[in-house]
Formats: sequence, structure tokens, C-alpha cells
Amino acid sequence: MIEKEPTVTKEAEVPTEEMIARIAPGREERVFLLLSIFIGVISGLLVVSFRMAIDWLSVLLLGSSVNSHQLRIVFVPALAGLVIAVLTRYVFPNVRGSGINQTKAALYIHNGYISFRTVIGKFLLSALAIGSGHSLGPEDPSLQIGAGVASLISRRVGMSKEKLRIFAPIGAAAGLAAAFNAPISAILFVIEEVIGQWSAAVLGSIVLAAISSVVVARSFWGAQPMFRIPAVTLRDSRELLAYAALGVFGGFASLIFAKSLSYLRPKLRRQPGWSQMLQPCVAGLLVGGIGYFGLPQVMGAGYGAIDQAMHSHFVWQMLLTLALFKIIATTLSFSSGTPGGMFAPTLFIGAMLGAAVGSFEKIYFPHLTGSIGSYALVGMGVLFAAFLRAPLTSVFMVLEVSGNYSIVLPVILANTIAYLISRILQPVPILEQFTHQDGLYLPSMEEVREESNLHLEDALQPVTVPVLQGSESVEDTVKSLAQYGETKDVPAVLIHCPDGLWYAATRDELQALVTAHGNGIRKMPADLPDEHLTLSLAEQLGPERTPVLFPDLPLSSALPHFQRWPLLPVTNRAMRGSLEGAVSLQDVLNRYQKR
Amino acid sequence: MLRDAVTFLGLTLVTAVLFAVTLFLFRSFAAHRAELAQRWSERGRTAISQGKPDQAIVALRTALSYAPDEQSYELLLAQALGDAGHLDEAYNYFLGLRDTEPGDGFINLRMARLAAQKRDTQAAVNYYRAAIYGTWEGDGTVRRREVRLELARYLIAHHDNDNARSELLITGGNNPNDVGVALSLADLLLQAGDRQDALSYYQKVLALEPKNETALVAAGRMEYEGGNFEEAHRLLEEAVKEQGDAPADIATMLENSARIVRLSPVAKVPVDERVGRLLRARDLAKKRFDACNARLSTASGVAAPLQSLGARWTSGDGSLSRAALLTDQARQDATMQLVFDTEVQTNQICGAPSGDDALLLLLARSPHPKTVEP
Repeated sequence: MIEKEPTVTKEAEVPTEEMIARIAPGREERVFLLLSIFIGVISGLLVVSFRMAIDWLSVLLLGSSVNSHQLRIVFVPALAGLVIAVLTRYVFPNVRGSGINQTKAALYIHNGYISFRTVIGKFLLSALAIGSGHSLGPEDPSLQIGAGVASLISRRVGMSKEKLRIFAPIGAAAGLAAAFNAPISAILFVIEEVIGQWSAAVLGSIVLAAISSVVVARSFWGAQPMFRIPAVTLRDSRELLAYAALGVFGGFASLIFAKSLSYLRPKLRRQPGWSQMLQPCVAGLLVGGIGYFGLPQVMGAGYGAIDQAMHSHFVWQMLLTLALFKIIATTLSFSSGTPGGMFAPTLFIGAMLGAAVGSFEKIYFPHLTGSIGSYALVGMGVLFAAFLRAPLTSVFMVLEVSGNYSIVLPVILANTIAYLISRILQPVPILEQFTHQDGLYLPSMEEVREESNLHLEDALQPVTVPVLQGSESVEDTVKSLAQYGETKDVPAVLIHCPDGLWYAATRDELQALVTAHGNGIRKMPADLPDEHLTLSLAEQLGPERTPVLFPDLPLSSALPHFQRWPLLPVTNRAMRGSLEGAVSLQDVLNRYQKR
Repeated sequence: MLRDAVTFLGLTLVTAVLFAVTLFLFRSFAAHRAELAQRWSERGRTAISQGKPDQAIVALRTALSYAPDEQSYELLLAQALGDAGHLDEAYNYFLGLRDTEPGDGFINLRMARLAAQKRDTQAAVNYYRAAIYGTWEGDGTVRRREVRLELARYLIAHHDNDNARSELLITGGNNPNDVGVALSLADLLLQAGDRQDALSYYQKVLALEPKNETALVAAGRMEYEGGNFEEAHRLLEEAVKEQGDAPADIATMLENSARIVRLSPVAKVPVDERVGRLLRARDLAKKRFDACNARLSTASGVAAPLQSLGARWTSGDGSLSRAALLTDQARQDATMQLVFDTEVQTNQICGAPSGDDALLLLLARSPHPKTVEP
């Protein structure tokens, strides 16, 4: 932050009404935090209802026990797909996809606007899709529902355009936190994937909204995490090798998943309109077929199967089969345009891979002690890091869900390996690919996250201009300046004032001062006291000083001052007035052009 | 300010209404899930009891999807998986359950059974022991005892009789006055080759329940096989009295033991009677020797073992008078030994005898003292 210019006068020390008005928060700031809590609570309630709707629909449409060789698990998703296609086309045109990119689009393109119709549509159609067995998850729609609630409430309250934009990620965090029962992961995900950078302005509100929604959700579902987490241990460091192997498998699995989606989705979207109407139906038929022929676990969000995998219900061959068919089923469901999320399928695939590695280890390396559940848990984080490319969220998600920090080392190791494999082999993240396929150009969160902010120190140059002492008289100044020789090409002269601050004077400015001083001597009345002639240079310059800048400040913070000052001195934070260097407008521009 | 107050009041009302509606729906939802869980778990339980583990697996998996934390359903599912032969799956399942409750007796017992089915002997024994020392709901003492007996059976089946015997004796020590347990222990000790302790336990049963048919028969049989024909006769007679209609083998043993008691020269009877029995036995043995010798002489001449026996028969032991025997205990023993040796050797050379010769052979082979008791 740029420090205030030291122009404070004695009169300013007494707070005026104008000052109070300036310092006191405006209406929007006053209601901002309170609104965040309301957004959190309402999002939480809606997400609870959303999950209930999914479960109700599942029981209603597929029966209370979904098993293979039941004919209705083939036809129900197909018929639901048809209904979804019709409603998506004619009633809710903006509900296709997961909801993450739509929320980002609302933030970056539509000034935070998400229509109420979209919220309703997302709620109904996603619930129908997931409840009827399409291989999709409820988290991303919950994120969009939360963002929609935030948008609706902030519009009703009459917030400014700027605030409307900020509310979308706040609601998104609330929706996701309630859906996943993990507030920290939700906050981090929104920061990593929606906003792209840490912003103190919204962080407080995001936290408030996420916590509020989780409190509401837990009052219904209980405090336990989404899955029953088995005991997590790491007693033998050799097990890290197995976790590293999991990272490698996870990296390649995410690559296959991402490649399948990035291949099939645009292909299906290019098909004629009538064909697109049939795509969710055909996808439902195929996903139902997978369920019918023996793998009903891949249908729907798959939390039950994740839980079973964590608790060693499957042998490793079955786990690998489930992971493979989940990739196929999700690719079909998602690419067909059926509304629903990618979160749960990603976790499903990761859990199956992790549990497969864990089961394999248990059989062939029984001396290693890690439980299958801990492998499944790490596997979830691995896929999350590699597929959704949210490495920070992936680590915290596992820690938050397991509540056990002894797993941190395996998680970081496996996630990093998977993330790097995915990054190298698939440079463009899948969510970004979707935005490009949709003709949108939203900022790449991965790039935003990794963008290195330039600071003043990056453009800082050694001081080559004359440095004068403000305590000197004008005559002495002229003598001092003469020591520097020819100063015609010098853009400015730095004057160190007795108060420790600096003044950057142009050559013309200094010349005018000297001339005025000479004239003053000649025209001085006889009764004028001698002190006037002996005024120091700093006193002659008046109270104005160059802004106080430090090397760690953003480079952009210097830009507004070049209109007034030709050169800006950069000083040391520890020693007041101690010069570190100086920057000119050209130095700053040169640095930006070097990127 | 007023506008904001009204706005927040409106928001509060909307939130309250939404909360009430959600709560109402959620309660109905939760009740329905609980009902579904109950219904499916009952189906699973029924299927297990009807011996349809595959149906039970489906039902219990469904029940668990509605009540994921219900451990009784998990245990039932694991049991059904094991029953259905999904050994790996069941093993994994129990392994997962064991991770959360490593000291649970039931889980360890199931793990032991699965390890046994997977032929992992060491793991099975370890899990059995963990089950014995684990926690049990209800009557832990009884369950631990049953597990220990199961472990003993498992060890016997794997010919680890020493460890089986140790487990059985510990069980016996923990259950001193239980007839059922003592019977089981006696049976298992017998299987483990510990006849002495087995007989002790049968006797213990008879001390507690003198008319226990199983113990009477088993103890009678053991006494008979041990050559204690008098006690065997008493026990078997008691058993037959209790049973009414005795099986053929028991009837035979009873008959033989009665005859041996009457015939045996080694029984505790007055000297006069004993010598009388000894002389009858000597006559029988001599006839048997002569018959065998005659058979062998006709076929291939006199066999070497019979030559030695023949020498003994022709020496003093084979022709001592009643008076000589009555006064000399050592000669009684020598004569008795000659009778027994004759029966044993003629059995080896000329085939199994019949009638009283067979009983004398039985007596000769019995582990009891062959000498005449004073």
C-alpha cells in the first residue's frame, strides 16, 4: 500500500465531518458481511434440499436398491436424459455443464449476474440427472446454486455492480462448502479455481459464508464427513513409494479422463440440434447399460461406492474396473450436456485407484501397514490435484476430510507427482478447455495463480542523479549542484529534506527556485529580516514531498505518481529516508515489457 | 438505514421459512431412509438364515447405503460375503472393520475363519487368539470358551496336538464344573491324542452326572481300549442300562469285557481262583499253539518263533502243576507271560484267533500290567 503523502496540516488533525464520512464504511460495506452470512445460510439450506432431492429421486426412479440386471436402470437414465434435454433447450438454457465455468463466467463476464431461472433449472435438472443415475456429482451444481443465491440476494439488496461481482464467489464457496461438508476446501477451491488469487477484500466474506452454510448443512446431516474415514496411519516410510506410485497412476488416469472429455465433448456439441436433444438420452442409456451389465456403482454420484472402497469392500481388480468405467460413464454423461458436476466422479475415480493400490499392497507387501482407506483418501486428493488442477485444495481436502495430519506427507507427495504429470502431458487444464470449447475466454486460474507480481525492486535503478540536502541554503545548493558538472541531461534532482522525506525536483523547477531567490535578494526591502534570505532549500520547496515508496510495493503502485514526479526515490523500510534507488516511468515500462 | 433494516427483516423471514420447510422435508427424508435401512437389513438377515448369502449381500449393501454407520449391518454383510465364498472381499471387509476396532472379538473370529478358509494357518491362529483376548458383547466368557474350542479343533485338524491340548486344558481350567464343556474337552483331548486327560474329563462328567450316557459310553470304550476291562464292563453296563438298546459295537464290548472279567487271570481275585483261571488260559493257549504248530508243520515245517515258544511250552512254565503255581507268584507271572506270548505270536503267524483266544489276545495287548496281581 502506498503511504499517504505527508501533507497533513494542523487543521487536519481535528476530524472533520468530511473526514468522518470518508473513513466511515459506506452502506455496502456495512451490509456486506451480514449479507455474506445470509447467503451462507440460504445456500446451505438449498444445498441440503438439493441433496435430499437427489436421494428422493434416486429411490423414486431407480428403486431403493440399485442392482445390475434391473431393466429400469437402463431406461430411467435414458428417459430422464430426454426430459433434461427438452427442458435444457426450451426452459433452462444456461444449466448445461458443471457450474464452475458458469460461475466464473458470471464473475468475469456478466458482472456477477446469475438468473433465478438458472438457479432453479440447475437445482431441478441436476437433481434429476444425478438421481436418475447419470454419472455426475452434486458439488459443482451446488457451487453454482450458491453463487446464484448470492447474485439474487445482492441484486435484491441493491448492491453496486462491483459488489455484485464479488458476491458470486462468496455464494459459490457457501454452496460448495455445504455440499462437501468441508469449508476450508471449499474456500480454497473458490480462491484457486474461481477467483484465481488471494484477495483480502473478499476472503472474510467467503469464510463467513462458507462457515455459515456448513453449520446449516451439519445441523441436518451431522458433523461427520461425506465418507466414513477409516483409521489413517503411516508407520513405515517405505510406504511412501506406494503413495508415489499412486501419484503416477493418478496422473495418468486424470490424463485419460481429461483427454476423453476434451475429445468427446466438442464432438458432441458440433452435432445438429436434434442430435443434441438425443445425446443425454443416449448417454443415459449407455451409463444405464454399464450399470445393467454389472457395475451399478458407477451410476449417480457414487458416494456409496467410494465409502465401500474406503472400507475394503472390493478387490483390486474390481476397483480398477470401476475406475475405468466411471471415466467412461462420466465422459458420456458430461459430454452429452447433462447438467451435473465433475467433483464426485473425480473423487470416485481417485478413491478406486487409491484403494486398488492399497489392496494390491496389502496382498503383495503385507508388512506395510497403511490401511486401504488411507490409500483411497489419498487417491481422491491425487485425482483432484491432477484432473481439476487445484493442488492446494486437493491437499487440504484430504486433511480436512480425514482430520488426520499424519497423512500430509503421502498426500503432498502423491498429489505433486500427479499434478506434475498432468501439467506436463496436458498443459491446458480441463476447465479451461471447456471454456474455450464454449467460446468463452475466461482467465486461466492456473496462470493467474502462478503469475508473479512485479515489485518496485524489480525496476529499481541506482541513483545517478544529483542528490542535494534540503537543509542547505539556495546558494549552497547552487554550489553543490556545480560539483556534479553538466546536469543538462539529468531528468531531476533528488532533495533530501530535513524531515527525512524526499523531493524530486526537475531541473527547470530548481532553476526557477534559484532565479526567484536571486531576484528576491535584489528586490528585498531594507526592513525585511535577514532570515528570509537564509531560508533552506526544503523550506523554499514548501510542504509537498514525493510519495514514500518501498522496494516491496507493487510496481504498479508507482504509476499514478509519474504525472507529478519525473523520478521516484525508493527508500528503505527500516531506515527512514535511506535511499535504496529510484525509478522513472521509463524504468517501470521497461520492466513490464521484459515479462 | 430503514431500507436496510426492512431488507434484512425480509431476508430473515425468508431464511426462517426456508429452514422450516427444509427441516420438515429432512425429517420425512431421514425417517424414510431409516425405514428402508431396516427393511433391507431384515431381508439380509432372513437371507443369511435361509442360506442365501448372495441375496443377503445385495440386501445388506442396500441397507448400508441408507444407514452407513450401522455396524451390525456391516458385520452381517461381511458374514454374508464369507458365506457366499467371496473370501477376498469378506476378508477385506473384515480387515477394514478390524482397522477401526482391532480388539473386537467377533471381527477377529470372522477373520480367523476366513484366514482358515484361505489356508493361512498362522494368520488364522493369530486371529483366533485375538478373538479370545478381544472384547465381546454379552457373555464374553462363553464366547471366549467357544472360540478357544474352535481354535483347538482347528489346531487338531492341522495336527498341532500340543498347542491344541494346551488350549483345551486352559478351557478346562476356566470352566471347572460345566458338564457340556467337560464332554467337549474330553472328546477333543481324545482327538488330540491325550487319552489320559480325556478319560479324566469323562470321569469328571460322570462324577457330576453319573448317568450321562455319552460319558459312560466314551469312558467305557476308553477303559476297554486301555485294558481296564472290569471298569469298562461296569461303565458299559451302566450305559446300556441307560440307553436301553445298545449299538452293536457297545454290545460286543460289553460282552467281551464281561467274559474277560470272568476269564482274566490277572484280575484281583483270590489266589485259588486266579490260578484256576491261569490254568484255563494255559490250556487254551496250548491248544492254540498246537493247532498253529500243526498247521505250520504241515505246510513248511516248524517256524523259528514257534520253536522258541515250543521250547518254553516243553520246559517247566508250560507244565507247572496247580500246587506249584499256587505257592509261587513268579511262576504265575511266567506262565501268564507264556500264555500272552503264545496268543500274540500265533496271531502273527497263524492269523487272528476267535473265541476266548481272541479275548486272551486282547488281554495280552492291553497296556495294563500283565503280571498277576497279588
